[in-house]
Amino acid sequence: MGRYLVQRVFYMVITLFLITSLTFFLMKIIPGTPFASANKLSPAQMEIMKAKYGLDEPVPVQYAKYIGNVVTGDFGISFQFSNRPVSELIVKRMGPSAQLGFQAMFIGTIIGIFLGVIAALRQNTWVDYGATFLAVLGKAVPSFVFAGLLQYFVGVKLGLLPVLFWKGFEYTILPTIALAIFPIAITARFMRTEMIDVLSSDYITLAKAKGASYFEIAFKHALRNALIPVITVLGPLFVSLMTGSLVIEKIFAIPGIGEQFVTSITLNDYPVIMGTTILYAALFVVIILIVDILYGIIDPRIRVSGGKK
Amino acid sequence: MERKIPKELFGQAIIDSSKSEEINKPSLNFWQDAWLRVRKNKGAIVSLIIAALVIIMAFVGPVISGKEFDTQKVSHNNLPPRIQGLENISWLPFDGVKVNKAGKEFSPYEQRKVEEYYWFGTDALGRDIFTRVWKGTQISLLIALLAALIDMVIGVIYGAVSGYFGGRIDNIMQRITEILIGIPYLIVVILMILLLKPGIASIVIAMTITGWVGMSRVVRAQVLKLKEQEYVLASRTLGNSHLKIIGKHLLPNLAGVIIINTMFTIPSAIFNEAFLSFIGLGLQDPLASLGTLIDEGFKVLRLHPYQMIIPAIVISTIMITFNLLADGLRDALDPKMRD
Amino acid sequence: MKKSKYSLLLVLTLVFSLILAACSGGNEGADNSKEEENNAASDVPQEFKMLDSSEIPTMDTVLAEGSTSFTYIGNVGEGLYRLDKDGKPVPAMSDGEPKVNDDKTVFTFTLRDAKWSNGDPVTAQDFVFAWQRAIDPKTASPYGPYMMGGKIKGAAEITQAGADKKEYDLNTLGVKAIDDKTLEVTLEKPVVYWEDLFAFPTFYPQNQKFVEEKGEAFASNAENLLYNGPFKMTKWEGTDAQEWVLEKNPDYWDAENVKMEKITVNVVKDSGSAVNAFEAGETDMTGLLSSDLVPQYEGDERMMSWLDASVFWLKMNQKNEALANVNIRKAIAMAFNKEDLATSILSNGSVPANYMVPKEFVNLDGKDFREANGDMLVYNVEEAKKHWEAGLKELGKTELTIRYLGGDTEASKKIDAYMKNQLETNLEGLTVELESVPFAVRLERDNAMDYDLQMAGWGPDYGNAISFADLWVTNGGSNRMGYTNEKYDELIKKAQGELATKPKENFEALQEAERILLEEDAGIAPVYQRASNILINPNLKGLVEYQYGPDYSFKWMTMQGE
Repeated sequence: MGRYLVQRVFYMVITLFLITSLTFFLMKIIPGTPFASANKLSPAQMEIMKAKYGLDEPVPVQYAKYIGNVVTGDFGISFQFSNRPVSELIVKRMGPSAQLGFQAMFIGTIIGIFLGVIAALRQNTWVDYGATFLAVLGKAVPSFVFAGLLQYFVGVKLGLLPVLFWKGFEYTILPTIALAIFPIAITARFMRTEMIDVLSSDYITLAKAKGASYFEIAFKHALRNALIPVITVLGPLFVSLMTGSLVIEKIFAIPGIGEQFVTSITLNDYPVIMGTTILYAALFVVIILIVDILYGIIDPRIRVSGGKK
Repeated sequence: MERKIPKELFGQAIIDSSKSEEINKPSLNFWQDAWLRVRKNKGAIVSLIIAALVIIMAFVGPVISGKEFDTQKVSHNNLPPRIQGLENISWLPFDGVKVNKAGKEFSPYEQRKVEEYYWFGTDALGRDIFTRVWKGTQISLLIALLAALIDMVIGVIYGAVSGYFGGRIDNIMQRITEILIGIPYLIVVILMILLLKPGIASIVIAMTITGWVGMSRVVRAQVLKLKEQEYVLASRTLGNSHLKIIGKHLLPNLAGVIIINTMFTIPSAIFNEAFLSFIGLGLQDPLASLGTLIDEGFKVLRLHPYQMIIPAIVISTIMITFNLLADGLRDALDPKMRD
Repeated sequence: MKKSKYSLLLVLTLVFSLILAACSGGNEGADNSKEEENNAASDVPQEFKMLDSSEIPTMDTVLAEGSTSFTYIGNVGEGLYRLDKDGKPVPAMSDGEPKVNDDKTVFTFTLRDAKWSNGDPVTAQDFVFAWQRAIDPKTASPYGPYMMGGKIKGAAEITQAGADKKEYDLNTLGVKAIDDKTLEVTLEKPVVYWEDLFAFPTFYPQNQKFVEEKGEAFASNAENLLYNGPFKMTKWEGTDAQEWVLEKNPDYWDAENVKMEKITVNVVKDSGSAVNAFEAGETDMTGLLSSDLVPQYEGDERMMSWLDASVFWLKMNQKNEALANVNIRKAIAMAFNKEDLATSILSNGSVPANYMVPKEFVNLDGKDFREANGDMLVYNVEEAKKHWEAGLKELGKTELTIRYLGGDTEASKKIDAYMKNQLETNLEGLTVELESVPFAVRLERDNAMDYDLQMAGWGPDYGNAISFADLWVTNGGSNRMGYTNEKYDELIKKAQGELATKPKENFEALQEAERILLEEDAGIAPVYQRASNILINPNLKGLVEYQYGPDYSFKWMTMQGE
């Protein structure tokens, strides 16, 4: 295991390096400049501005410099927010996104597992269809619709919760619900199918024969085995929830990193694009590693580390 | 606690060696068997019928409306739904009546002296929403089909190979998908706009880049789990080829997750198409899809709710029936659930 | 006098804040005759909350380049001139009109006694410092060289030297401090709209000592800024802040006319959410409404609407052989129903544009620019068809396929679909291929002239028709559609040169230029002039919106009682 981990970390660094490099070059091919009033600038001015930010150098040189800076922990300064170091910006914006992502993930998984398990235990009854209906609706209706309706009816019409902004826990409730819809749907659906699968296994029949209760069967025996596809899907989903959602952050006026990232791409804010990409990719490869390790813990027969055949 | 069983219940078994090999149920192949079991599932059958109706409407709808999906008539814009025969039933939303801000009902049809019936109303440009919704359903179904295909072909094979062979192959294949996911999708898509013309081909390419990765990861995880099971070991011991093991033993057991995952890929693809067309890579106006109709309708939700609700109902119906159908299919295909 | 007023204000503030605990009531410089208003206002706290659709990209006057920056800079700072309640430039830091030489190229300003928020006086050197900083290639300001080049003496040369990486001397810039209170500005050539120029945030002063002392940290947050305008920022954590607070600046020279005590601004990027926040009573004023939301508030007293000075048009790229034909261009320009587009499809108060220079933008002696020039390229299917057939004949074709690069406003999709349909219906044999692309790609394709038709718009940077007319001179930076006409170039050159000191002739030359561009050449096909709409608490009075530079001034705002 130890050797496997070392090997994986080594691969992780290479993966990150490749993602960073490819993104850097692709990003440079996108037309346009990071300068907001580019269409008003004279050629002479353009020269001056490019020189100031080192954009007049050949791309490979810019790349080498960037990688050099990143290694020393310097991610550059944002164009759209003058004066703001990218690292500071990301740290600040990451907070709300991560909190929301975490909350959504938490309640999403719980509700999802619950819905999935009931659906499986009451297979092909109205309970099952109802749970499926709920889960699928969460996916078939786009999140901006759901978020917009929540905001209007719960926030404006009923006045139960704050309509928008990010000023305390009660402000997180509506966006969390809107964000949790997807994890609920996906967990519920995978839980159902895996549970049904597991429930027909011999060892569950044995457990039933031994007189174990439904509850015990569901949560002690079946759940564990149903978790493999669920964590496979939830791992990457967790990363994307943590790194924010453009739609939810925009609708609820949350200063998160998701909205920030999309804006930075449309504005060619190179340092922010790169910084966020590196963060996202790093989180992603770490989560993938964790998921791979979890496979072995959940089902000891699985050996991701491979080795002998 | 002794229990007595009356003697009469016992009878002599007649052992006829000639009949021991007889099959007393009709012989069914895999698919016949599956169909038999789907039929027993009420939810699946109802879903099948509704789904079939929606699909038929997608092709028949634009014809029977008597209107073109791209004909604009600005004087008829933003009309509410009105259907012959249903228009006098005021609790149905098809009476051609709107409520103004003061809470009073009024009929834009009468106000503007419009004779035509727009069954689902009209949009901001006065185009018939009924025709546009079904036309859009066609396109969205096509997108769904393509997305499912990409998922099935690339995703399943990639995942199965990666999981089955494991070790170094798995390691490299997984790192490749990490790189694909790691590069921001938006950047890739913007670059594609520079190279490609908007259209179905561009959408397919954009979906092919990363659309299948989720599927491949799920399949890989299942294969990792299943390949250690006894029957795989048995098959391997019997000297079966890798291809046969993957195809014959692993894939049928993967049906559940594959189907479920496809059902998630489809709506993602439908909305991704709306995003692509917004950004300039997908289908351009006047063509519409359910995704773009919902996008556009949402902006005027409070003023003209039908413009979003109708396509949203269609897409939800499609997704719910597909999922219930998929559940039925999954149960039917599951080798463990045969009776 | 100044001092006593200040201390009186302090005492008043203290008293009021004691009475009203947290929120300090309306405490204007109450030493004048406005007793009635004073009483009315003091019942209601003079503060409000508003929403803006973006963060403030920078508060450094020299680096600012967008209307959000200009808006807040304009409210916490002040230049030689300031736009008044009617959007007209009036002397501000300048104590009355400057002395002007006969050539109208040298302006000598006497500064009024004004103070920075740290107590330092605003001096002529502050202007020299800021302007030199704005033009200094090391600063790499976008708007500095843009606003100064060709106008302030020596500006263009400094920029060129910077681009060529040669030596330059900032003292060659035409701005000099004669003494602490006297500023001499030398222009390259007469500029008709010089008052607008000196009212523009790029030309605001900066306190040299403060800027140099703060170094990199200057303008990084509210503490690292100095204010000489009606308000000062008391909370702003920097360029990515989501909330900021403006409070009345008691040191402002005209503080007695500033009633509003406190303005809290929050960022909400989604226009639908902003409306929801307004409905829920979380804010007194929204940012601009997207056009889809406007019809919902038609006739509502809470909606405030005004006509912008932004005009949208189709650029017709003459690199395309067909569009190089004037008949084809005229046919396209007249073949779509602008009235329907503006009233039924946009339906947000926008008006059809049969012109390039917007209406209610510039006037001469009270006569609007539009009055003399009237409508051109009006929607007329018959005429359009005639031109179309003539054009096709000249080209020897029976059908044409033209690409259409869509716009990037939120209503673009609708507009583009409508335009395609109108053009194809009214012009037989025309096929329009829609292409909607992201902003960066659009800019790139505009630059490379890789389009046939393009929906584009323009908002002015100063209150003169030149701001529009200048776009279409041969090889002009924003032309990029291959339009060229010697007569047009000649007129624009004259308007910016010898006629710059003669308002009437200048006005007429630009009207003639517009006539050539539209009536003779159909160089562009005007579509609509945009309207803006916001939701605002009806008790909130005195918001002034501007057509260029800052979006709004809060200086004259008051909160009335119910």
